[in-house]
Amino acid sequence: MARVSTRRVVFERVTILLITILFLLPVFWLISTAYKPSNQIFSAPPRLTFEPTFDQFRQAFAIFDVVSLVRSSLVISIGTTVLSLLLGVPAGYALARSKSRFAPGFAYFFLAIRMIPAIAALIPFYLLMRDIGLLGTWWAVIVFNTMLNCAFVTWMMFSYFKALPPDMEEAALTDGCTQMGAFLKVAVPTVRSGMIACALFCMMFSWNDFLHPMFLTTLDAKPISVALLTAYGTKDITWGTLGALAHFSTIPIVLMALFMNRYFVQGATNGVQ
Amino acid sequence: MANASSSMVAAKPTTIYTLAAAVVALMATASYANSKPLDGVTLTIASMNDGFSNVLVKLAPAFKAETGADLKVEIMDYGTLLTKTTADFIGDTKGYDLVTMDIVWAGAYAENKYSVDLTDRVTRDAAELELDDIYPVVLKSLGQYDGKYVAFPLAAYANVLAYRKDLLQAAGLKPPATMEDLVEYAKKLNDPAKKQYGFVANGQKGPAVAQDWMQYNNQLGGSIVTKDGKPALNSEANIKSLAVYKQLFTEAAPPGAIEYDWGGREESFRQGMAAFMQTWSVGAAAYSDPKVSNIVGKVGIAVAPVSKGMTPQYGVGGWGLAINADVDKSKQDAAWTFIKWVSSKKIHKEFNMLGAGGFMRKSEMTDPDLLAKYDFLPVIAETYEHGNGEFRPRIPEYPEIQDLLGTAVNSVLAGATTPKEALDKAQDAAKKLF
Amino acid sequence: MHYSFANRRRLFLFLMATPAVLYVAAVGLWPLAQGIGYSFYKYNLLRPARTQFVGLQNYIDIFSDATTRKAILNTFQFTFFSVGLQLVLGFALALLLWRDSRFNRAVLAFLLIPSTITPLVVGLIFKAMLGADYGIIGYFLSDAGIGPRSGLLTDAGTALWMLILIDCWEWTPLMTLILLAGLKSLPGDVLEAGQVDGATAWQRFRLLILPLMLPSVFLALTLRTMDAFRVFDSVFVTTGGGPDDATNTLMLLGVKEGLQFFNVGFASAVGNVTLLFIALIATMLLLVVRRADVRINGK
Repeated sequence: MARVSTRRVVFERVTILLITILFLLPVFWLISTAYKPSNQIFSAPPRLTFEPTFDQFRQAFAIFDVVSLVRSSLVISIGTTVLSLLLGVPAGYALARSKSRFAPGFAYFFLAIRMIPAIAALIPFYLLMRDIGLLGTWWAVIVFNTMLNCAFVTWMMFSYFKALPPDMEEAALTDGCTQMGAFLKVAVPTVRSGMIACALFCMMFSWNDFLHPMFLTTLDAKPISVALLTAYGTKDITWGTLGALAHFSTIPIVLMALFMNRYFVQGATNGVQ
Repeated sequence: MANASSSMVAAKPTTIYTLAAAVVALMATASYANSKPLDGVTLTIASMNDGFSNVLVKLAPAFKAETGADLKVEIMDYGTLLTKTTADFIGDTKGYDLVTMDIVWAGAYAENKYSVDLTDRVTRDAAELELDDIYPVVLKSLGQYDGKYVAFPLAAYANVLAYRKDLLQAAGLKPPATMEDLVEYAKKLNDPAKKQYGFVANGQKGPAVAQDWMQYNNQLGGSIVTKDGKPALNSEANIKSLAVYKQLFTEAAPPGAIEYDWGGREESFRQGMAAFMQTWSVGAAAYSDPKVSNIVGKVGIAVAPVSKGMTPQYGVGGWGLAINADVDKSKQDAAWTFIKWVSSKKIHKEFNMLGAGGFMRKSEMTDPDLLAKYDFLPVIAETYEHGNGEFRPRIPEYPEIQDLLGTAVNSVLAGATTPKEALDKAQDAAKKLF
Repeated sequence: MHYSFANRRRLFLFLMATPAVLYVAAVGLWPLAQGIGYSFYKYNLLRPARTQFVGLQNYIDIFSDATTRKAILNTFQFTFFSVGLQLVLGFALALLLWRDSRFNRAVLAFLLIPSTITPLVVGLIFKAMLGADYGIIGYFLSDAGIGPRSGLLTDAGTALWMLILIDCWEWTPLMTLILLAGLKSLPGDVLEAGQVDGATAWQRFRLLILPLMLPSVFLALTLRTMDAFRVFDSVFVTTGGGPDDATNTLMLLGVKEGLQFFNVGFASAVGNVTLLFIALIATMLLLVVRRADVRINGK
């Protein structure tokens, strides 16, 4: 881009900064509840100051096995992401390179799978998981979420590969490269940013997913998203516990997003189309 | 291991045999001395997130020490608990051995045989359970349905009236003796300019508003079902009581009360915003806890008033423990052992000392340790003496009825419709369920 | 045997697609087909004895009952406005962040945080902040007489709009991310050309940027529409569909019927109707974008 005046850059930056702060205020509020004594979280009129305490964290650790919750969340979201990419990337490639006139329709069919509302499939799936003995385990959630996500990955990768001219692979194939070699060594590296985007979407979807694991897991496999609602008790709002627990549900995914978004935005020049 | 076996090879055979025999003998005595009836058994409880759930977690080591069984407590919010346990029952997935059962689920449990019928066990172990020490209304509404035990009482709650002593005193009022007094005083004590309100109750759409209104409805002489268990949502008395409830909301409640659930309601009372609140006794201990309350020492607890001329009858609710009918016999026996253990005089006192808030034994009402901690126990005893656990109909169709009422009452509070219209509509929908 | 290159290529591609197709068919289509089957029955898992075939009755009920009709309208209103607002805001933010600098990259990272918070918690945060009696925003609004005195989430006139705003808060950052990725992939020479022409900023945007951005816009719109149409968590914990039926949505209705009352027949019908609506919207989006593409880019 051409030169721009310093004044304009400053103006842009101040605007962005203000908007970002506006977006982060509710997050600050949530995080701050974890450090407030219970009777200072709410008051009329609302107060901005409080005496910091770690009681809420102690309480959260006393009630919840936080380590196990985070571990379950990690296993479920990483498992879903890896499986979805393993299934979806080759399928997206195949559809993009296929000369069949049904290929775009097929890609669209995959997109439609991602639209399935949970309630339509969850109860039959629940009984299916019971019959094969996976109910209550990480696998039940991974299997279900992979179905939704691999469909989406297929469709997204279809459009990424489609935007990429097949010349390079064809050249590699004529040079004696195997089909698999052309896919892995030539096609895949060029859509790296697309794959990272897909991974980010899968990860965020599974990490934040509440309804599916709520229904499909039990104590040992319960992720933190499900435990959060429990922290918000019925008879007694334990907002502080919720705030403390929210640290552990938010920080890992924020770190992951920060890490991946760098690659995503930098590498995107390779072609989102 | 590898080292041990290689050195054994080097030793003389006789020495090894003697040594081995000694070790075996030693292990046998040790294990005999430590062997407990439920060694190696794990019981999983699906527990409501309530006063008692953390207490169950705290009691687990003691239960293991005594019986050898591990206790795993999965704590869930109300909606999740209902969904997960129902799915477990209908899918025969044996995920939970024990389930905390809201008393209003009893009808569904009985009709679908979700839980083990405990009647024979209760009769057999009546002496050990010290049944005479448990209030009859608690035994009936927290455990039985149609004369059979679908669960055994775990934590009983009394519906009581919490009021602000200081505000009443300043206005020269006595605690209300009737519902009419309550309505009048609530309006009198309402002073929005000072952010001081007369009354607070649940207004949020769903179970929250439905359950609170049913409470008031009961005390104003209404009833959700007829004597033979048919829905009567739009009876004259119900329409009248809903109009009173609406009036209390518009004339005496904090403006945000329409979106309160139990948590919001309790919070606003602890903040000191409301003069009167009907509530389950489980929350009462928190009002005098300076860590969460701004009204320490200013709260009185009384039996909930009823309409002028009505025979006193007070709301009783709470949680029973049910055994999943799908689990095998040995698990059922182990689960029954836990039920007996946790409801025993000694442990149940401990349960309440730890803050579970679910009193159900007569002996607890006069226990000096408990009384020192909870001075409102006499009110609870009085409530149980005249308790009514049926004001929320414990029929199989209860969840749907509650949902219909949850929408109907909330629409009235929101001003979208009139009490009659809302209840007529709910009644039409309710009839389809039967 | 000797296969031609084209045939081997075809076979390879076929094999590459097979695992995903089989997986989706086994895990997704099979339960979905069952769900379609259930939807023709009056079928409650809690009362299996009363099961009966009712044909299209469940579907007729959905479109004739006032509550469900309202839920459908709400869902459309919610989806249309929240996705629309997110597109506009997201695009504006993406343009602001377009210039590649360390500052912008850092800001984007923080901006993304709302999208990474569990929607359930997002709902709880806003409910707490907007509460009229002690919410950090709601208290002052109610006190100053701005909006309904009982709080913005409790009034039939404002509740749905608040839910739309909450959704925008949470998902605008994701929209920004997708669109920014699209912007960064634009060929530099095209834009330089526009600069030389001396076109105004708006002309540059409309004539140069927007046409090239259509694929990214389509991706962002489709992704958000699919999820907005199935909104559940944040509504469930804030208003529960209230006051009255003012914020009831299709998914809220479906989850209540399916996972609370285990009314599988009706819940499946709601699920299928939802799926049908989303598919229709997505198809319309596809057609609109394709037509715009043809018109602008002449392809």
